[in-house]
Amino acid sequence: MSTNPDAVDDALFGELRRHYSDDEIVELAAFVGFNLGYHTFFGTLKFYPLFSPDGRLVSQAESEALYGAAPVSLNKPQAAE
Amino acid sequence: MTRVAPLSAEEIADPELKALIAEAEALGVPDDLFPRILARAPAQAVPLMRALLMSHARGNVDHQLKEIMRVLLARFAQDKYFAGLRSNKARGAGLTEARIDAGCFAYEDDGKGFSEAEKCALRYADLMFLDAKQIDKAFYDELKKHWSEAQIMELGAFIAFHYGMQMFMRSLGATAPIAPADGT
Repeated sequence: MSTNPDAVDDALFGELRRHYSDDEIVELAAFVGFNLGYHTFFGTLKFYPLFSPDGRLVSQAESEALYGAAPVSLNKPQAAE
Repeated sequence: MTRVAPLSAEEIADPELKALIAEAEALGVPDDLFPRILARAPAQAVPLMRALLMSHARGNVDHQLKEIMRVLLARFAQDKYFAGLRSNKARGAGLTEARIDAGCFAYEDDGKGFSEAEKCALRYADLMFLDAKQIDKAFYDELKKHWSEAQIMELGAFIAFHYGMQMFMRSLGATAPIAPADGT
């Protein structure tokens, strides 16, 4: 859904149904849609995780130093046009 | 026919969800297909429907502008379902198909009559999923010339949420039940 929505087809749904009920697939798809929208938005706001990898509460400046200058959400391939 | 069948109206018992469906049908966006599919995940259905309606029809940004942004995003998402729906509230306030098309395809054209604030908001929606790296500090500084920080958060959350739900409906293979009527 995020990087190659054209690949979300009947075959993929057939594969999903081998593991999940239709109700669970709807829950998963809504979760993915919600997150792909919001994490792209959050990436533009340039804020960083509140915690370091070892679990310490860190400032935004320290978090930026830990996680890098560019938010990870902006480094993934963009959705297809 | 969607890849996952919606529940029938009779299968939906939650009074809160039923009230939200009625509110959505009055607005025109979404029609009952979206919530009847979502109803399969009842813990998500009510909050997602509430967020969809509140972000679109309420708040401190003009509803007609958000309707144009919503259609722009749906067309970019290649989601025929949401792209084919129209807000009765926006249409009643005078929003036409010609204005929506201009907002989607030619909003930077000075001859189309969009204000600098509207252009900036439409650019925000246009770039968010086309090239989010362009939405940087300079872009937010430009937004702040025209919009309050509260309005910018309203716009950003609106863009993020509606695009996400449009991709959800695209993934299910949903199509628009009716062609958008020409409001011109």
